[in-house]
Amino acid sequence: MSTGARQRRNALTALVSGKGMVLANPPTLLPAGDYFDLAGEEFGSRLLLTTGADGKEYCLRPDFTLPIAKAYIAATGDTPAAFSYLGPVFRQRAEGPAEFEQAGLELINQPDPDKALTRVFGFTAQGLALYDVDAPAVRLGSVALFEALLEVADMPPVWRPRLRRRFGSARAMQASLERLASLEGTAKTPADKSRDDLVGDITGQMLESGLSLVESRYPEEIADRFMEKQALAAARVPEQTIALLRAYLEISGPVEQALGEAEELFHANGLSLEKPLAGVKAHAKALAALLPDAGLKFEAGFSPRLHYYTGLVFEIAGQGGDILASGGQYDRLLQSLGAEREIPASGCALWVERLEQEAGL
Amino acid sequence: MSAKPEGEIILAVPSKGRLEEQSRKVFADAGLPIERPGGARSYQGKIAGQSYIVVRFLSAGEIARELVRGNLDMGITGTDLIHEASRNGPDKVIVAKALGFGQADVVVAVPDVWLDVSAMSDLSDVAADFSSRHGRWLRVATKYVNLTRRCFAAHGIAEYKIVESLGATEAAPASGAADLIVDITSTGSTLKANGLRVLEDGVILKSEASLVVSRTRNLSERRQALLDRVLGAFRAD
Repeated sequence: MSTGARQRRNALTALVSGKGMVLANPPTLLPAGDYFDLAGEEFGSRLLLTTGADGKEYCLRPDFTLPIAKAYIAATGDTPAAFSYLGPVFRQRAEGPAEFEQAGLELINQPDPDKALTRVFGFTAQGLALYDVDAPAVRLGSVALFEALLEVADMPPVWRPRLRRRFGSARAMQASLERLASLEGTAKTPADKSRDDLVGDITGQMLESGLSLVESRYPEEIADRFMEKQALAAARVPEQTIALLRAYLEISGPVEQALGEAEELFHANGLSLEKPLAGVKAHAKALAALLPDAGLKFEAGFSPRLHYYTGLVFEIAGQGGDILASGGQYDRLLQSLGAEREIPASGCALWVERLEQEAGL
Repeated sequence: MSAKPEGEIILAVPSKGRLEEQSRKVFADAGLPIERPGGARSYQGKIAGQSYIVVRFLSAGEIARELVRGNLDMGITGTDLIHEASRNGPDKVIVAKALGFGQADVVVAVPDVWLDVSAMSDLSDVAADFSSRHGRWLRVATKYVNLTRRCFAAHGIAEYKIVESLGATEAAPASGAADLIVDITSTGSTLKANGLRVLEDGVILKSEASLVVSRTRNLSERRQALLDRVLGAFRAD
């Protein structure tokens, strides 16, 4: 490491050791099951796995957020907490496995989640400043706004959670919307059997093929979706809704302009989403105040494709296009990990080597 | 696989069963009959008059892995196994020739009783709904981890988990180990006997025994020429 890099690393150590936060030091070796349970196979494929002598799967720490959140829950925490971290994480890449240094902040159960996010922005900006990054490209997204739009958009309720699941993957979302737009419905045999008869048939067939009635999809679940599919011609997603979602997801541009477009679009569709819109605006303003020379962009379709993200999400790239920092709000994370209720959480992660590269160290 | 004497190339063929027979037949048909002087218990072979070719008898899976790693020059193995040898396996080899045997499809199969699921798009809805209803991800039993991940990603499905299965994958839904499977099938009869059905667009890969050349191996000009000579014998027919 060069002298310059070492000096910055020391400054970063000072930042994560700052007042009002606890420097967390979770183990490097973690049970892999937690990550698979939380994020599924796609994230799982990026883990560095090993099998213990006990047959259990372990992984090298791919991030700090999960072990920090788990430790908070295990400590039966119910008080506001702020954890910082600095250390290596491990990920698979196409070219092979790699070790990276990450620094970050996790704010859990803060009384004012908006203020918490501003504090996360502040930490991020301080970290960037240590590496002389003052005019980065910031990408903002809002899970809250998309969820609010889904809630008020006219469609059969079964589609709301499905479309939410695809948010964050342009390809998956586009495929779903295309399918919804082209669904003719297979109404040729609408309900020639009652639901009860259908459930009875399915139950019989499941027993015959030795399938458990409770461990996987239930007979009722299969019957309901079968009937739903048959009824789609009658209860399809209106064309106007599909057009609205498509138009919304295409919005991308400088924050004010993009949010203005969103507002107009909602208005044109007779919708009012003022509260979530105002939320994004306020957060964008807070971030702009901390990084006055940054280019702030709002991208309606931008989000990690993870169900536990809830409010605002952000990603910050340097001149070379590499992501230097990312983060957001994930109020559903702790509950997904076993907390008894939803606990607000937000945080950020900074990629140290990329920051060093950006600074020419 | 340590010795890599200059001027020799290493060819690997499957070590037993139908695959061995058929592999040796295609080489014989190409005018390069493979001898196995030590019989089935020996894993070294040769080709008469072609002393520059070292023949190894290995399992098809091992052949795929060593081709990807660059420890073999060429070999006969299934294209499915190349995908499973590593995520970027297909980039590390050249499939020189499909040999017309060992054909099988890697498929996505669900319980036949899933009346509402006929295509991958149905599966993507089921996956999206599954965890909120059952408190866990949809589980897919397979030994084809890389192919499954690639296929599901291509269909925009993220809400699932792979359960690795090294044998009798078709039994996984009935045993409760998984909800559906990705497996290899040639006639589909095993799937049917286990109450499973291949999705309409559920064929992930049409696999076939193929003559495969490693791209990761460093070849001298001379060895490249030898390799081309062997490949030439196959192109002639």
